[in-house]
Amino acid sequence: MDLRGIVSFNAIFALLPILVFAEASIEGRVELPKSHSAPVMAKRYEIVTIGGVLATQPPLAVVYLDGSFPKPKSPSMKQIGQKDLAFLPSLLPVQVGTRVEFPNLDDTYHNIFSYSPAKRFDLGRYRPEERPIPSEVFDVPGLVVLRCDIHEHMRGLLLVLDTPYFITTDEEGRFRLSGLPSGHYTLKAWIDSKTTREKPVDLKRGATLHVDFL
Amino acid sequence: MMSFRTKLLTAMMLVVSALTILGLYLAQRTVAAGAEHDLQANFQAEVSWLHKVQELRHAALLERCGALVAKPRIHAALEDNALDLLYPSAKDELRDLMEGDEPSPEQAARTLHARFYRFLNGTGAVLSPPSPKDIGDLSADTAGQLAFKKLPEVTQIGYLPERTDVAEKTVDEIMAVPIFSTETGDVISALVVGFEPFEFAGQRTGAGMKSGIWLNGILHLPGLSQSAQAYLGGKITNTVTKSDRAQSNFTVSVNGAPHLLFYERLNPDSLFPPAYEICIYPLANSMARLHQLRWQIAGAGALLLLGGFVASNFVAARLSAPVEKLAVDSERNRTQRKRAEAALASTSEELERSTRYSADASHQLKTPVTILRAGLEALLTREDFDPGVYHELSVLLHQIHRLTGVIDDLLLLSLIDAGHLQIESEPINLSQLVEEWLDDLGALPDSLDVKIEKKFPAELYVAGEKRYISLIVQNLLENSRKYNRPEGRICVAGHKDTDEIVLNIGNTGRPITRDAQEHIFERFHRGSGGTAISGHGLGLNLARELARLHGGDLRLVGSDSDWTEFEVRFRVAQQAPSRAAEIV
Repeated sequence: MDLRGIVSFNAIFALLPILVFAEASIEGRVELPKSHSAPVMAKRYEIVTIGGVLATQPPLAVVYLDGSFPKPKSPSMKQIGQKDLAFLPSLLPVQVGTRVEFPNLDDTYHNIFSYSPAKRFDLGRYRPEERPIPSEVFDVPGLVVLRCDIHEHMRGLLLVLDTPYFITTDEEGRFRLSGLPSGHYTLKAWIDSKTTREKPVDLKRGATLHVDFL
Repeated sequence: MMSFRTKLLTAMMLVVSALTILGLYLAQRTVAAGAEHDLQANFQAEVSWLHKVQELRHAALLERCGALVAKPRIHAALEDNALDLLYPSAKDELRDLMEGDEPSPEQAARTLHARFYRFLNGTGAVLSPPSPKDIGDLSADTAGQLAFKKLPEVTQIGYLPERTDVAEKTVDEIMAVPIFSTETGDVISALVVGFEPFEFAGQRTGAGMKSGIWLNGILHLPGLSQSAQAYLGGKITNTVTKSDRAQSNFTVSVNGAPHLLFYERLNPDSLFPPAYEICIYPLANSMARLHQLRWQIAGAGALLLLGGFVASNFVAARLSAPVEKLAVDSERNRTQRKRAEAALASTSEELERSTRYSADASHQLKTPVTILRAGLEALLTREDFDPGVYHELSVLLHQIHRLTGVIDDLLLLSLIDAGHLQIESEPINLSQLVEEWLDDLGALPDSLDVKIEKKFPAELYVAGEKRYISLIVQNLLENSRKYNRPEGRICVAGHKDTDEIVLNIGNTGRPITRDAQEHIFERFHRGSGGTAISGHGLGLNLARELARLHGGDLRLVGSDSDWTEFEVRFRVAQQAPSRAAEIV
């Protein structure tokens, strides 16, 4: 089921009174694919494509609570920089409606664009000093593949989620989501462009639920 | 019948002609091969120049296309499911490839200007552009020729004939560059770009070479008439379908002029239909040069033949003259020889017969003569006859002695003639022998008062058998006395002459006539003046035969006025006996 489906499904429950927004937590671990590169001191995350599947290297996952939640009152702002001819971070989950800035931290031009169905945009060429920092609002949930027209190898992933509750795991796949509302939801783990796992969760106030995606 | 000279001349002319023709053939072949080699080298230089330029252009085009298909926007459109953005993105990316006015063919070759481009989808079909005008119009049929059944994994080069939107018949060079997904590594698309083909004609003035493209049985060669293109196209089709060679050349006639046609596969191993590059190179100049050279060679050959004829004639005349003379002489000699042989055979036969006859006669005579002599001698011993009878008996006995001498001489001669006489050679003191005979001569009752002169050393050793040497000396001395005149003189002289002993015996008296001189050594010849003198005409003949048998000779030195002189030569004895006592 894709993100749009989840959103539609959750719309049925949109009228239900939301009792409490707080205090429930989920922690656990996502089993990540085996890393293909030997660990190094200064870890860099990059997007690799293996058999047409986009994922970070070393692998990371995004865990998010799928449900119907109110839109944020003011749009939030995030950044994906371009440093050393790579996107930093290489994988960024954002809530729908978030404006993402793409600061150029290199000494060269970059031209960030995306032809992804979730968002087509083209920031054009810009220098590091470009002000305001070129940015784009992502208002459709989905995976946006970021590219640079000048540096063909550059790839970044922007995961636009229709939920405020999401987190990127650490390298071992561990995660902890807190401040969650109580109720019945679906917990999802985005592992790569083709793999998203999900589990139903029943959240209770003050309780910490342990969910593993193994 | 041909004379020797004509035969010789003919043979020499044949040899000279053969050599000349061989020489001309070799010279002509060398010249022709050289000319062809030059031509080929010239042509290859042109072709190789063309190929270098084409290779450079291809490399440039490939690099260009390779860079284009690596563009992130094109990859993004193909990989991120944004095909609607493919052509718009490509329009930006390939703008420099397409923008600008339509350049001239030469500019096109240099600027790598593309005429059109299309993308193929994952199944190899052409992705329709939203606005074909911007990326080069193509008819549906022409565009269909860009498609593949399966996307190629390597760049394919092909040629696209007859753009329908252009009045002029042209061929575009097309390059299909595969596009690999950066995500899966698979071929997800291909960019097909059409370029103005490289035109060789006019690039190098003076070379006269024209180049074009053969495609699908049709030759596209600007600068040639339609009919010539159709004709050549057919020829090339025949050649390339029969042979699988990627390149070759052959000679063709274009508008009546000979041309060298070179073809080379432009797109080997391509999935597009095979196309051949065609270059034609006019041979008229080379042929004219070759023709002129052949004429020069032929002229030189004619001169050579003429010279050869004159030289042969001269040489034949020189060579044949002695041979012809020899032939004539030989014919004459043969006739003479035959005649001589016949005469010899006849003579030999006669001689043999006479020899046999002489020998037989001598033997037959000897016995009765001996009986006769014995009878006469017996009668002489009787004492009851008249003194006149004794005288008669004495005369008869003397005649019997003469007869015995004749028979002995004849017998000896017949032995010599038959070759049966064997000489047992030993050293003989000739001086002593002569002395003895002179003594005998002196003892003879003689009415002539002949004076004898002796001029020889005491010892003159000759090689021979004593009785025969003695016979020779006796004969000569007897003759010198017999034919002398009263109060005449005999001179006997001997000396050594290198390896010969020469004995001269001369005497006064009537000379032998000049006519008789020629015959004195013949048998039974007697001097005309000497008929009254006893003798039987065998002595000189016998003496000469014996002298020759001993390796010497006997000759008449001269006979005139009052002097006749003979000379006999003997071989010197190699070893004289050590003691004088041995010499009797």
